[in-house]
Formats: sequence, structure tokens, C-alpha cells
Amino acid sequence: MSERVQPEKGSSRAAEGGGQGMPPASRDARTENAPSPQEPQFRFSIRSPRDFWGGLVLIALAILAIWASRDLPGQRGFAFGPGTAPRLFAGVLAALGAAVALMGIIEHGPPIEKYKFRGPILVVIGILSFAALVRPLGLVPATFSAFVISILGTTEMRWIESLIAGAIMTLFCVLLFVYLLGLPFQLWPRLY
Amino acid sequence: MTELLSNLWMGFHVASNPFNVLFCLLGALVGTLVGVLPGIGTVATIAMLLPITFGLPPVGALIMLAGIYYGAQYGGSTTSVLVNIPGEATSVITCLDGHQMARQGRAGPALAIAAMGSFFAGCVATVLVAALGAPLTSLALLFGPAEYFSLMVLGLIFAVVLAKGSVLKAVAMVVTGLLLSMVGSDLETGAARMSFDIPELADGIGFANVAMGVFGFAEIIRNLELPGESRDIVQAKITGLMPTRKDLIDSSGAIARGTLLGSLLGILPGGGAVIASFAAYTFEKKIARDPSRFGRGAIEGVAAPESANNAAAQTSFIPLLTLGIPPNAVMALMVGAMTIHGIVPGPQVMTKQPELFWGMIASMWIGNLMLVIINLPLVGVWVSLLRVPYRLLYPSIIVFCCIGIYSINNSPTDVAISAIFGVVGFWLIKHDFEPAPMLLGFVLGPLMEENLRRAMLIARGDASVFFTRPISAVLLLTAIALLVIAALPKVRRRRDEVFVE
Repeated sequence: MSERVQPEKGSSRAAEGGGQGMPPASRDARTENAPSPQEPQFRFSIRSPRDFWGGLVLIALAILAIWASRDLPGQRGFAFGPGTAPRLFAGVLAALGAAVALMGIIEHGPPIEKYKFRGPILVVIGILSFAALVRPLGLVPATFSAFVISILGTTEMRWIESLIAGAIMTLFCVLLFVYLLGLPFQLWPRLY
Repeated sequence: MTELLSNLWMGFHVASNPFNVLFCLLGALVGTLVGVLPGIGTVATIAMLLPITFGLPPVGALIMLAGIYYGAQYGGSTTSVLVNIPGEATSVITCLDGHQMARQGRAGPALAIAAMGSFFAGCVATVLVAALGAPLTSLALLFGPAEYFSLMVLGLIFAVVLAKGSVLKAVAMVVTGLLLSMVGSDLETGAARMSFDIPELADGIGFANVAMGVFGFAEIIRNLELPGESRDIVQAKITGLMPTRKDLIDSSGAIARGTLLGSLLGILPGGGAVIASFAAYTFEKKIARDPSRFGRGAIEGVAAPESANNAAAQTSFIPLLTLGIPPNAVMALMVGAMTIHGIVPGPQVMTKQPELFWGMIASMWIGNLMLVIINLPLVGVWVSLLRVPYRLLYPSIIVFCCIGIYSINNSPTDVAISAIFGVVGFWLIKHDFEPAPMLLGFVLGPLMEENLRRAMLIARGDASVFFTRPISAVLLLTAIALLVIAALPKVRRRRDEVFVE
């Protein structure tokens, strides 16, 4: 019994993460920390962890959708209300998620690959830095910072090369989007 | 027949407008440029380049997108031949013989035959699209909401069954996409649905954000994880682009057969182009006098799948243009682009905007011609592009995508949302969920809901309407039959084999 409780706990945390689009970090930490000889015994009932956890996340997403549409009016007479279709499809999704998770118990499948965090995190920070900087500072600083931050995501990064490439790419983008395509971007911080 | 010709004439008139030719050329060029980059497939390329077409007039934008599509696909085969890394599933099979030819110093003929085969296939498929457009459109006008809903169900099921991987998981992805499409204001009442009081979500999740995140960013993040560069670029100088007389004779039959097979399979919704290229290769191998040549640089092994996937790529426009239903992820992107330009794809496009419809068809042919003209001389440029290390390539792609998304609405939130979808896409890949069905569901979601609601309203809440109206019943029963067949263990095993081969 205790063996079953443990994964359930992990799943709800992982599920929350997945629903909001974050990598389910907690689950992975747990898998990696588990001593390897015990591993097969630990999840002997989950034959295909990719399917099992994937299905649980889908169920969580469906529950989230049902919760989020709880205030929407449903069926009125013959007419669908705004809430009918979301709840209908969320119900179907929950059922499918359960089926996927069930297949994860019945059929054998490959283990979940280990997550490497450096690449994804730095790429995401790079993209977010663009989103954060483009309004207040303008296109040039935002593009350059997105380039330099996301290039840190690879271990093969070399500083000088990266800075030069970043400058060239920024120039290229400015030429393409602002001068060639004529998009109305603000290039530099506005100086009052 | 005369009507067909006059329509085509009008189309060529529209498409040969200097601006439209320029858009087509630009699209094909940029499409190839991005499509050549290894690890970036056709869908990712189109998703990335979508924003640059937004500033154009609708006809020009769609012509450019079509150009990008063919360019991306052609770029994918260039990478297959030269680096042995398929850009996308459709060019996996081209690697087998194409790369062998390149190693024997015959990269030039391989690329030339691929381009010629694609061009021939493109010519045939263009005529086919034009010929089938009108009858299918009149059929579509007979459809009521119930039939439309059932047709979309069938289309989605087709896409799921013909895609690779688990059918169950693909269906789950479709439903996830449908659910995501419901975020935002309700079509009829305007009530905000599942938007968590975030103002940016009140209008729904932008299509481009999802596509760019799930295909563009997720693929980049994924590629970063893969172990260091193992590129096997053909270093030998590419000499002698032109195929010999023998090459041409050997491949002409293969091109014709590939075109035929591809045109037929492309009309089917689902991964038509992928299936077509596999089927064409297998067929050529079966009928060859000496099958052992395949895999060692047989030119038929390049000609047949390349013609087939191009023919299929083009005929897959038929369901989109006539019925308004995108049969695959690329067409889903096209729907997204059309909607952004205020065009609702479907039978009414042909009657209400004939210039757009026929102009686009004509531009397909022009686009293919462009590819032959621009690509063969530019092979050298593409090769040098392949030598740019990935560590410099991926940040460039990222900033390019960021600016692209930002330019759609001038909204930094959109950029952040696509970053979130990048992580979602990455997670999906980790768990063997295919993102393409999700995108398809996302695009079809609003249309499906609308038709479902209307059908139920007309039938006074009686759900059996989907089975009592004959056309709808046939469509739904076909969908169910397909699902059952795909779930049968024997078929499943065959299906897995096809995709493993």
C-alpha cells in the first residue's frame, strides 16, 4: 500500500507543474535520487512510466479545466451554454487520461528520460527576457539579451564568439524586421 | 473543362502579378533557408515564418506561405541528402538512398532529381487540386452542422490513425487541443471561459503562440539535450549537378508512380505526405528488378518518395480549400494564417474569393518552378549553411521567433505564452505525446464546437441526430471503424513496422 501512496503524492505535484507548463521537476528529483538497484522494485506496477505519468497529468489538466469552468452556465433547454462544451471535452479528456495511465500499468514501455535543466531553463529565461525587455528598452537590447542568455544553454558556448554572433544577429533582425518589413518597433530605450 | 481552364487562367493572372511572384520567390527562398537547418521540420519552419507574412495582403500572404511550405519541404530533403539528418518525417526515406548517392559524389544528381520529381509532381497535383476543387465544394454545400461536425471527427480520427505512435495518446492530444481552444470568450455569449481573469487570455490563446512554442521552441530545447554534433556533412565538392541521361531514364518511371501514389494518399487526412513517401519507396523496391540496389544509392529511391511527398503535400490542400478542414498540422497552420487575415477556410472561399482560391492554386505551380530555378544553383549556399554550428544557430532561431511572435500583436505576453508552450511541448516529447494532433484539435476546436452546438439546437437537443442523418452517420461510422481497425493488434504491429522501417 505504501508503495502506491508514494507515487500518487509525486504525481499530484508533477501534475500541477505539467498543467501550468513547467517541467515536473519534483518527480524527477525523486526518480534520480532513488537508489538504482531498488528502482525496478519501487515501481514494479508501473510498466510504462511515460504513459502512466502522462495520463495522470492529462487527468489533472481535465480537472483544472472543469474547475476553471465551474462558474459558466451550462445547458439551457436545447441550447448549449458557454460551459457545456468545456466540461464535455474535459470529461472526455479525463477518461482518455485514465485510459493512457491504465495502459502505462498494463503495457511495458521505455523509462522517462532524465531531464537536463541547463538548456531548457536558459532558453526559457532568454525568451522571457525578450518579453520583459522589449517594451521598456526596445528591440535592440531585448534581442541581444535573448541571444546571449539562450546561448548559455549549451556547454559549448564561447564568450567572444557568442557576443559577436549576437551583435550580428541583432543587426540582421533589425534590418529584416524594421527596415525591410517595415514593422513599427522601438529600437532603443526612449530617452526623454 | 473550359471553366477549369478559365479559372486556372484567372489564377495565373493573379499569381503572376509581380508582387505575388516576389512573395512566392521570397517564401520559397526563406522556406528553404530555414528548412535546410537540421532538426527543424516543415511545421516548425512554417510556424516560425508565419509572422513575417502578417503584414502582407491576404492573397500575397497565402502565396508566400505556400512558397514557404514547398521550400521547407525541399530544404528538408537537401538536409537528408547532404547530412543524413531528415528535416522531417517526409524526408526520412530520402536519407536512405540520397545520402548514399552523396557519398558516392553524386549529391548533385540526387538533389536535381529530387527537385525535378517534385516539380513534376507539383504540376500534376496542381491540376488535380483545380479539377477536384469545384465538385468537392458543391458537395460541401450540402453539409449541415451535424455533417460538418461528423466530418471533422472523421478528419481528426484519420489524422490520428495515420500518424505514428499510440492511437490512444494521439486522441488524448486532439482532445487536449480542443480543450485549449476553448480558453477565451465564448462564441455566442461572450462569456470569458477558463481565462483565470488574465486579460491576455480573454481573447483566447493565440494560435501562433501555441504553434511556435510546441514546434519551434520545444524542438530547440529538445535538440539541446541530444549529445554533441554528429553531423556527417558531405565534404566533397559538389560537382556536376545535372543527372546523366541514364539517371533520367531510370527515374522517370519512379517519378510518375510516386506522383500518382502521393496524389491519392495526400487527399486522405492525416500524415498523407509521410505515408506517401514510405509507400512510394516500398513500392519501387518491390517492383525493382534488383531490389538490393536500394539503400546503396539507387536514384529511384530518391525520385519516388520525393515526388510522392510533394504530390501529397499539394493534394492535402484539397480538404482544406474545399471543406475547410485541415488534414494535417501544416494545413492547420494555414488555417491559422487564413483566420488571422479574416478568411474562413471552406467552400465559401471558392465562391466568394475566387481570386484567392485560384491564385493560390496557380502559385503552387509557380512555387514549384521557383524551387527548381533557385535551389539548384544555390545548393552550395545551403551546404555552407549546414556548416554553421548548432550552438550559434539555435539562439538565432530563438530571437527570430521571439521577434516574430511579438510582431503579431506587439504583445510581450504572447512571447511569454509561447515560452510556456515550449516547455509544454518539451514535456510532451518526453512522454511520447505527438504535438501535431494537439495543434489540429486546437485549430478545429472553435469550428467543431460551433457546429456541435448548432446541430444540437436544430435537433432540439437530440444527440441521435448525428446517426439519423445519413451522411453524418456514414462519416461517424467510418471514423469508428477506423479507430477499431487501428486498435486491432495485427494492424497495430504492421503500422509500427511501417514507421520503424
